[in-house]
Amino acid sequence: MSEFAFKGGLKLENPYPADEIDLIRIPLPDKVILPLQQRIGEQAKPIVGIGEHVLTGQVVATIDDERCAPVHASISGNVVAIDEQVMPHQSGLKALCITIESDGKDDWVDTSIGCTEHYELCTPETIYNKIRVSGIVGMGGAGFPTHTKVQLAEGCHTLLVNATECEPGITCDASLILAYSTKIIRGAEVLFHISRAERAIIAIEDDKPEAIALLKKYCNNDRISIEEIPTKYTSGAEKILVKSVLGIEIPSGKFASDVGVLCLNVGTVVAIFDAVVENRPLISRAVTVAGNAVKVPKNFQVRLGASYDYLLSFTDLEEGKHKVSMAGMMMGIELKGTNYSVTKNTNCIFVDMDEKSAPAKAKECIRCGLCNTVCPVDLLPQQLYWYSKGENIDKAVDYNLLDCIECGCCSYVCPSRIPLVNYYQFSKALYRQQVKEKEQTDKARSRFEFREMRLERNKRERAEMMEAKKKALKEKMASDKAQKDIIEAAVERVSSSKSDTEEQDGN
Amino acid sequence: METKRLDTNQIMRQVIYALVLGVGAQIYFFGSSVIVQIILASITAIIAEAVFLQIRGVKIKPAIMDGSAILTAILLAISIPSIAPWWVVVLGVLFAIIFGKQIFGGLGNNPFNPAMLGYAFLLISYPVQMTQWPGEFISFSQGIDVIFGLNNVDGLTGATRLDDVKTQLMLGTQIRDINLESVSQLWINVGFLLGGIYLLLRRIIFWQIPFSLLLGLILMSAALFFIDPSQFTSPYFHLANGATMLAAFFIATDPVSASTTPRGRVIYGFFIGTLIVIIRVFGGYPDAVAFAVLLMNITVPLIDFYTQPKVFGK
Amino acid sequence: MFDATSTLSLLALLFGLGLGYAAIRYRVEGNPLVDQIDAILPQTQCGQCDFPGCRPYAEAIASGEAEINQCPPGGQEGVDALAELLNIETMTLNEEHGEPEPKRVAVVDEDVCIGCTLCIQACPVDAFVGSSKVMTTVIAQECTGCDLCIPVCPVDCIEMVEIKPTVRNYIPDIAELAHV
Ligand code: SF4
Ligand code: SF4
Ligand code: SF4
Ligand code: SF4
Ligand code: SF4
Repeated sequence: MSEFAFKGGLKLENPYPADEIDLIRIPLPDKVILPLQQRIGEQAKPIVGIGEHVLTGQVVATIDDERCAPVHASISGNVVAIDEQVMPHQSGLKALCITIESDGKDDWVDTSIGCTEHYELCTPETIYNKIRVSGIVGMGGAGFPTHTKVQLAEGCHTLLVNATECEPGITCDASLILAYSTKIIRGAEVLFHISRAERAIIAIEDDKPEAIALLKKYCNNDRISIEEIPTKYTSGAEKILVKSVLGIEIPSGKFASDVGVLCLNVGTVVAIFDAVVENRPLISRAVTVAGNAVKVPKNFQVRLGASYDYLLSFTDLEEGKHKVSMAGMMMGIELKGTNYSVTKNTNCIFVDMDEKSAPAKAKECIRCGLCNTVCPVDLLPQQLYWYSKGENIDKAVDYNLLDCIECGCCSYVCPSRIPLVNYYQFSKALYRQQVKEKEQTDKARSRFEFREMRLERNKRERAEMMEAKKKALKEKMASDKAQKDIIEAAVERVSSSKSDTEEQDGN
Repeated sequence: METKRLDTNQIMRQVIYALVLGVGAQIYFFGSSVIVQIILASITAIIAEAVFLQIRGVKIKPAIMDGSAILTAILLAISIPSIAPWWVVVLGVLFAIIFGKQIFGGLGNNPFNPAMLGYAFLLISYPVQMTQWPGEFISFSQGIDVIFGLNNVDGLTGATRLDDVKTQLMLGTQIRDINLESVSQLWINVGFLLGGIYLLLRRIIFWQIPFSLLLGLILMSAALFFIDPSQFTSPYFHLANGATMLAAFFIATDPVSASTTPRGRVIYGFFIGTLIVIIRVFGGYPDAVAFAVLLMNITVPLIDFYTQPKVFGK
Repeated sequence: MFDATSTLSLLALLFGLGLGYAAIRYRVEGNPLVDQIDAILPQTQCGQCDFPGCRPYAEAIASGEAEINQCPPGGQEGVDALAELLNIETMTLNEEHGEPEPKRVAVVDEDVCIGCTLCIQACPVDAFVGSSKVMTTVIAQECTGCDLCIPVCPVDCIEMVEIKPTVRNYIPDIAELAHV
């Protein structure tokens, strides 16, 4: 049991407990929609054309940026569209996506070439590259490209496998452990090979005895240990997990890699195993479907790009008007409708009955301080709220707005039911915009000044050039004159000496 | 144990329930006229609140239903003498709601504790009415008569023990010759203490303010007592008299006007405790809770600023 | 009564002194006024203020030759910020100079461009790349959207395009999410 507790957080029951948390493999979808914009970097560029036939696992869009991952076809079939589609994002904005219609065959690209079981023979560089070209990103919800993270943590001493659920009500990681516990252990061994980590710790909440037993059973590597941590919400957040398992507090603005820890979600570790040993890129993921409109919560292994509707057709929903959100009860983002597709960081879809889940009306903050007591990173949420509401972003940043992990604990306990996190997301977005604007105006200012200087310099140079020319001319004229004078003088002298001579001669 | 989700109305309601024991003790010793005061105060508060919300163009119902106005009214009503004339409590509540709360933009925005602002206003403006406490048990009808001015208060009033001690000390009497015991005051304080413990257990209030307030009060009075026991009363006297427990658990803990950081709350409570003793001993008024709380309200932004918790990873 | 009043006044006096001291002790040494004004101006360099750029306008404000309400890209917030800086009464944006518009960038239709370089000379922030006789293009990150290149182009191949919100720069609508 872990000895380092963290302050704050919430003790919550799983609101939608399920008897079975098996990972259900569902049939291939008819169609997948793959977004080209990922968490970081620019939008990937499609390298296939409309009408082209693609194989499962084939790269369909690439990106020059080394930090980013390419996009793979998740089914075999024909590319039918490359156009703007609605993103699973609260904005409801559209972005470029590739749509592939299935041919029902699921023909794979050649998966025989690569490291296979003998990955020990491959250099770490080869394996990094393999992770990168396999399109693996953090599967816990953050979606940060994994190869970059692994590379940053090259000199790390500990590998921390995050087997905790992101939020109460989500069980996809547990289902993944039940289905693939050996892959998790083997994946950790792959990571041993490419990093300098001496040990691996699989951190898991103590309310999952089945998963713990299974991991223990298959773990025959004494460098890997399984650590149970108390079930408390936000323990799954990277910073908090590192603190509660290792007792290391990651400094503000830094990452786990800065303190020598490589922290990866179980889903990511499974994906690494698939990529390195089986040569299969990331084309599917585990998704929990739960919520008060879902009769039996389930976990599905589903191809990326499958639509929400398709996924929901495998669950029993209560009749009525639904409200769909991505991610769970704490950090969920409400979406308009079900017209979205599963992305690499869709860990959960919550379907609630519309009438049961109308948010309570927010009242004024009574400064009760309950929010302070639950904040896992020890912020003063009500101060942040106050300044965010007044759009006094600088002040909010002074009160460490940027350290907020948007966990939603504060919103949950607030007796006035103020949706505090919404305010922080808002003010963080504003802050990002302000920083960008400031950069732009600074750049414009310096470019303007440079241009002024350049014009000025040109003018000066031209003037100097003119000046020099004039001077040269004058000098030339002057020297011409001097020359003339000399000649004249000489002529004079000659003629006078001539006369002198003549005179002398005459004498 | 699962983390509970309270809501603002619940909090206000729980606080009101927790007052029952203390108010019960008041009724037991001095009769039920305090109930009349509470009703008068509550009605005034609701009307004043509704009128002001209307003026500010805010939806009336949810804002009134949050219970905060009634809580302010009740706290004020039980702080003033139960036989004060009706217009005293009405004026006090009006002042509290209007100048203590609505002027600043309603619940959550007021820098001062509204009930104490109302109390201070009354004490400064009507010192006579505000210091005439019932000397003995008063029946309900007697109470009504006195409150509505149908009868004379003469013969019913007495000074509180705090007041009494103060007067005697001024006359030069030594502490040991003064009767310090007051059963009624003791039991009223015990009532509020129990109510406060209930709130602590329900996690409606945090331990910091009551604990540090009582600590400050004990330390300050102990220091004075130590210097000269013939001039100054003991810590026990300060604990068991006046509005000490009411202040510690119900007034200083008003979340809106108190400090919100954990360390800030300790400082805030501690200084209220010490100020209560100082003002009681050296000031001109019989009790000191209102002034101590109001003074510390002013310093809250400063305290909050300097006691921000250490942020994770900083 | 007297006690309370005097205590309170004394306290107020103490706080006042403390604050006054802090204000003197911790006063930030300011940049020269022109820099401070220039820092508020949006640096679009469009010249709508009747000065050939933000800095000249800043100098004119500092020397009292121009009003603070002549910069449309800065919007009303810009005017208010200037008023606050200069500690004067704020005024409304003077519409004679133009109205604030959403931020845009110039895009050159490279098929039409004849490479005359007139736009390069007109651009206040050197946002064009190209040289004579080759087609010219705009670096979107550098363009301030000042419109100065539009009138000079002989073949009208420059278009101003509004910057669309994306998932990346999206700002949630807090009014909708406040649940009030
Ligand atoms: S929990 Fe809500 S009401 Fe209480 S201080 Fe925080 S924001 Fe204010
Ligand atoms: S959302 Fe931010 S402020 Fe609120 S509890 Fe979580 S980390 Fe703290
Ligand atoms: S009007 Fe244009 S040039 Fe003048 S200050 Fe504003 S942005 Fe700068
Ligand atoms: S490209 Fe055109 S609009 Fe953009 S800054 Fe240059 S001149 Fe202005
Ligand atoms: S002014 Fe127009 S035609 Fe000339 S270089 Fe610029 S864009 Fe091309």
